[in-house]
Amino acid sequence: MVTVNLKINGKQYSEETEPRMLLVHFIRDVLKLKGTHIGCDTGHCGACTILWDGKPVKSCQILAVQAEGANIMTVEGLEPEEGKLSIEQESFRENFAQQCGYCTPGFLMMTRYLIRNNEEMTREEIREKLHGNYCMCTGYQQIVDAVQDAQRKYFATKK
Amino acid sequence: MYPKSFEYLRAKSVDQALQYLKENEGSRVIAGGQSLVPMLKSRLYQPTVLVDINFIPELREVKLESNGDLRIGAMVTHYDVIENSIIRENAPILSSTAENIADVQIRNRGTIGGSICEADPSADYLPTLMALDARVVLKTSESTREVKVEDFIQGPFETVVEDGEMLVEVMVPSNKSNYRVEKYARRKADFAIASVAAIVSLSKDGKVTDARVATGAQQDKPHRLREIETALKGKPSKSVDLESIIGPATEELEPLDDLHGGPEYRKYVLRGMLSRILGDLLSGKEAR
Repeated sequence: MVTVNLKINGKQYSEETEPRMLLVHFIRDVLKLKGTHIGCDTGHCGACTILWDGKPVKSCQILAVQAEGANIMTVEGLEPEEGKLSIEQESFRENFAQQCGYCTPGFLMMTRYLIRNNEEMTREEIREKLHGNYCMCTGYQQIVDAVQDAQRKYFATKK
Repeated sequence: MYPKSFEYLRAKSVDQALQYLKENEGSRVIAGGQSLVPMLKSRLYQPTVLVDINFIPELREVKLESNGDLRIGAMVTHYDVIENSIIRENAPILSSTAENIADVQIRNRGTIGGSICEADPSADYLPTLMALDARVVLKTSESTREVKVEDFIQGPFETVVEDGEMLVEVMVPSNKSNYRVEKYARRKADFAIASVAAIVSLSKDGKVTDARVATGAQQDKPHRLREIETALKGKPSKSVDLESIIGPATEELEPLDDLHGGPEYRKYVLRGMLSRILGDLLSGKEAR
């Protein structure tokens, strides 16, 4: 067993784990943060996307022991305060950007990253940057709407 | 899916990593893990010991040597290859290549050293690095050697890395000439069905002074198409008949046959790409 010390959503954790445990299992089953989903478990679908030092990565493609000292944000960390939706969550709700909702945590984490690290994105650019996230329900139209909307809202807060 | 159990060793320096590799038979290096972790999960690989080199800062450095060579650490991510201004300025074809790799998330975690060592026949970097005459620096606890990327790759998922040896750096000669790098895949994040990296320099009077063409996703390993290079060099770019060069130069290829595409289809796509890309480069069109 190896001890892993890491920060998730601003909170420090220190837990023992087997080296073979994947980061996504560690987050869900050890820390009981169930918002991060496991979809394909092969690195394609993006449901397990988390932010690691602010950048999106797929937590099913990383061993938990490799996250020693990492600063991570999961979908639970989006809410600015208890019961209040973030810009990204608000935009997904208003634009009906989810149906079954299984892929949504991954898309929300991508949205958090993309709207803050890009100039105003075209629909084409958004689609291109979301290649690593699959949604089997929506056909992506409303998701692209939501990302555009979230970016507009984010820019408005900067003015 | 869980990998089979293994011992995990976290190296804090290159020397420590090399020591771990020397002391543990059957050990394997984990870099970004974007290909290795799926292989561990599917149990294609079952190493007894994993040596993690993610915690070694010196492997993430990029330097420009006085002779114009770029020295790129093994753990430089695809994201960094795209964003790093030294790489983008001195080997723009390499930055463009990284843009084609997988997706945003994987580019943030995957590394150039890991991708080279995986030696996938369809890997994105390999044709580009071969066209650039890049070399890799391999170290053991006792010795250091440099090997051309072309010689480093032996076959599908096979390299010349020996037990106790680790790729620490990639040496890339600067090259700012006009280039194209493209891959064709059904979906952008997929492995290529055909890929081409081409660099062409023209003199003021339109003669081809340098031509390098490499392809991936065709045979058991990416390779240079030297017959095409030789046929282009020294020729006035306007009088080149590409079709008469590309046809014979690709005749002998025996492309891969897998679920992404059959041999005839792969060759057909490759010929189309070569014709368009080289046509653009010979007419002096700048990279987009």
